Amino acid sequence: MPPRPLAKINKIDPAELKMLKKRIDIAMVVIIVSATLLLTRLWYLQIYRGDEYAKLSEINRIRIQEIAAPRGNILDRTGQPIITNRPRFNVVWNREDAPNPDAVIKDLAKILNEDISVLLDRIRAATENPRYMPTRLKEDIDWETLVTIENKHLSLPGVRIEVMPSRDYLYGDFASHLVGYLGEISRAELSEKHYATYQSGDQVGKQGVEKIFEKYLKGEKGRNYLEVDVHGFEQRQMQLQDPYPGNDLHLTLDVDLQRTAEEAMAGKAGAVVVMEVNTGNLLVMSSNPPLHLQEFIGGISQTDWDRMLNDPLHPLLDKTIQGQYPPGSVFKIATALAAISEGIVTPDATYFCGGSLNFGNRRYGCWKKGGHGTVDFQRALIESCDVYFYSVGMRLGVDKIAKYANSLGLGKKTGIDLEHEKGGIIPSSAWKQQRYKEKWQDGETLSVAIGQGYVLTTPLQLCRMTAAVVNGGTLYRPQLVHSITAPDGKTLKTFSPISEGKILGSAHSLALIKEALVGVVNSPGGTAKSVALPDVLIGGKTGTAQVVNLSHVTGMSEKSIPYKYRDHAWFTSFAPAENPEIAITVLVEHGQHGGSAAGPVAKAVFKRYFELKNGKPENPAEEPPPSPAMDEKGE
Amino acid sequence: MLRFDRRLLLNIDWVLIMAVLVVALIGLANLYSSTHLYTNVGAPLYLKELTYYLFGAAVILLIVSIDYRVLLALNYPLYGAMILLLVVALAVGKTVGGSQRWIDLGFFRLQPSEPAKLILVITLASYYYRKETGKGFGLLDLAVPALLTGLPFLLIAKQPDLGTALLLAFVFASMTLFVKLRWATLATLLCCGLSAIPIAWKFFLKPYQRQRVATFLNPENDPLGTGYHIIQSKIAVGSGLIFGKGYLQGTQGQLDFLPERHTDFAFSVWAEEWGFFGSALLIISYFFMILWGLNIAISARDKFGVLLAFGVVSLIFWQAFINLAMVMGLLPVVGVPLPLFSYGGSSLLTNLAGLGLLMNIRMRRYMGTS
Repeated sequence: MPPRPLAKINKIDPAELKMLKKRIDIAMVVIIVSATLLLTRLWYLQIYRGDEYAKLSEINRIRIQEIAAPRGNILDRTGQPIITNRPRFNVVWNREDAPNPDAVIKDLAKILNEDISVLLDRIRAATENPRYMPTRLKEDIDWETLVTIENKHLSLPGVRIEVMPSRDYLYGDFASHLVGYLGEISRAELSEKHYATYQSGDQVGKQGVEKIFEKYLKGEKGRNYLEVDVHGFEQRQMQLQDPYPGNDLHLTLDVDLQRTAEEAMAGKAGAVVVMEVNTGNLLVMSSNPPLHLQEFIGGISQTDWDRMLNDPLHPLLDKTIQGQYPPGSVFKIATALAAISEGIVTPDATYFCGGSLNFGNRRYGCWKKGGHGTVDFQRALIESCDVYFYSVGMRLGVDKIAKYANSLGLGKKTGIDLEHEKGGIIPSSAWKQQRYKEKWQDGETLSVAIGQGYVLTTPLQLCRMTAAVVNGGTLYRPQLVHSITAPDGKTLKTFSPISEGKILGSAHSLALIKEALVGVVNSPGGTAKSVALPDVLIGGKTGTAQVVNLSHVTGMSEKSIPYKYRDHAWFTSFAPAENPEIAITVLVEHGQHGGSAAGPVAKAVFKRYFELKNGKPENPAEEPPPSPAMDEKGE
Repeated sequence: MLRFDRRLLLNIDWVLIMAVLVVALIGLANLYSSTHLYTNVGAPLYLKELTYYLFGAAVILLIVSIDYRVLLALNYPLYGAMILLLVVALAVGKTVGGSQRWIDLGFFRLQPSEPAKLILVITLASYYYRKETGKGFGLLDLAVPALLTGLPFLLIAKQPDLGTALLLAFVFASMTLFVKLRWATLATLLCCGLSAIPIAWKFFLKPYQRQRVATFLNPENDPLGTGYHIIQSKIAVGSGLIFGKGYLQGTQGQLDFLPERHTDFAFSVWAEEWGFFGSALLIISYFFMILWGLNIAISARDKFGVLLAFGVVSLIFWQAFINLAMVMGLLPVVGVPLPLFSYGGSSLLTNLAGLGLLMNIRMRRYMGTS
């Protein structure tokens, strides 16, 4: 190789060197400026905006997995659980873990007893999801399937079991309207302020106490901080915050009594309300037919919803607080209280009932066509004489009646901790003027006096009225919740009775009415004699509420009247008469007669109540069927 | 010729060797961090890289033992071989990531565009050395070096590897500016260069390349597509803060958020794990090495040595600057590796050979005409 060219190369010429040196100096400046630029950029990224990028890198790598908290239990007044939680097992599929997905899915379909196309459809529907996200193939599998899958898990790569807490309804549709149900939080709810901490996909109470006491029941979600790689696959667990269970809700309800009431109402539409007269605590709140709570788990289908919406028995309506019915003769308690307190009648003053009363150019009939003959205050209530109440009503005027009815808590919401309560209507001349822009007609007062016409009440209102009349005149706010306790057993909140004030009417007047109501059940000619129990003195009042004007049904036998035109049957009652403890109000929609349709339900509940109280907790033997020779036929 | 002049040993450039060793060790440690979780077939990448380093040391020994002046005679044969390899790469090359850059030699996949950089430096240094121009280079005088650069530029751009092609252009521009240019030539070149940009944008750039530039200008427009590299790299560098997340603790790198983390984005891994201090140390080491290279250039015994050393320095400088500016989001993503730091045998051997040439020139600075 050439030494020759090497020899040719001369040392650098000093003049040229000087020139090149100048350029090298320029190059050095360029290089130093570049280095400074890079270092400045480094400072800008790492120091000036470093915290921002540090946060971004944390967001990149940490995925927070939320763990649903077990919801608080719902218990009855004795501490017996009504609604708890149970684990729900779902089968999920992680395609990344399965080397041979087709074979696995085929095996799995057999175990799940599902058509393979169902599973494949679910997988196909989830193809848009990120790869790390498991696909749910089947929800809420039973124990047997669970065990099979766990045993075969080695041959089922990619198949996993996901556990989620879910509501467990220990008594089925027990008090379903009142406890309510859960559902996925809606978009509208998410925008509300008190749902600020919720996220889409969360379960929230949608109705009843599940909704009202949501903030106590929900608990605190747990958080699993997972480090994930760029594909979202879990690398390791960084921190685990266990979920904190929700608080337990101790209802005032009594499981035993509620079940007794629900059994007695089976096959009927209507409502049963049982209230402790001295506290306002509700022992029974039953609306029939019930909601099927299981159908609501995981969202109710449109067809199920439509079916309930169109059901003539209106299962969606909570009839205890949303059902507004004319109270019929039960309202005579209010009319009687007004009449005796206002001095319109004395206990001994009598009226003659000849079966009807002519007023204006109309004839107002008594339910007993032959008439009651001479009746005084007591007999009028016991036998529910319409003519007597037409007469006193006429003399009272509608506004006096309304004043007393309002003081008994009618015509307005009771303030119970439930949503969508209805207030009912107690008409007055001012009310009519405002509502219809018409003057009150005196004839209308006659209808109001016997609880017809414009008067509308809810079963809860009538129960509270009964309680107030027999407890010495205190109107309590109905309450459903006794206390709320934390998971560690500590009591967070107790609900003491709330008095809404005294009702109008002297103690003497109330005593007179109470005496008459005891007679309704216990004296000859009383309209609810079949309700009487051997060792407890019960008082009560029957009622029959006309659904349509009589002309629609005149001349028809009771059986031939179409269901929807049949009268509603009421019975409101209390016991023991000497020192009342509970009030029971029963409504049977289209049950026709208070005494025979609604009375036995109240009787069954009274019987059970006193059995429990006197220490006979075994389930009672079947109630003997009401005597066919019943002589009381409402009014 | 292979007889070693004992005087040469006295002039060994220990400063440059130390600087190279510092960067090499940091680079190897960083490569371990960025690749120890990889499950590739065969030897771990850091061991492979170490092998390349040992091989590169042998190459340096070979280079320093031969007087650099032989290159004046070898430049055209070398140039011819380079063009041949680039054509072969295009004809039968292996396609990786959409571009045809590799020649599979069985034990080694050669990326001919890497040695092409150094061979272009040698070629241009030889040409400019030979061409004596008293008043400076005119436009016509530049036709030959422009052609010499243009041919490999087009072959590499065709692969397509725009980053390396542009790098050739940068080296050509640097070396041409370094030799004396007439003012008129300079002005003409500037005008042509500037007017070439829109033409190149329209006719020369491929859609994905245009996309890259657009993404660079606004990466947040396309965070999951082409903007992803820039965003993730900036997050990696920025989240290193002052002292870094610790060796092997970088989340962006270890959890795969950072793309190309052992090659083009190796610096991001380092910056994330060692923070501002580590990163500044590395950048300063680089620029020390580069400045020392200029010192070698100016102390060379002859003009060829000056031109050759300057060419090698400009090659290393542009690679380092473009790569660092790219990973820090100052330049669009073009595939230019960080010399000695990014994984890759062809690039490493090329840069080590270039550094070998610098040592060669340094050692022979006192030699006579012999």
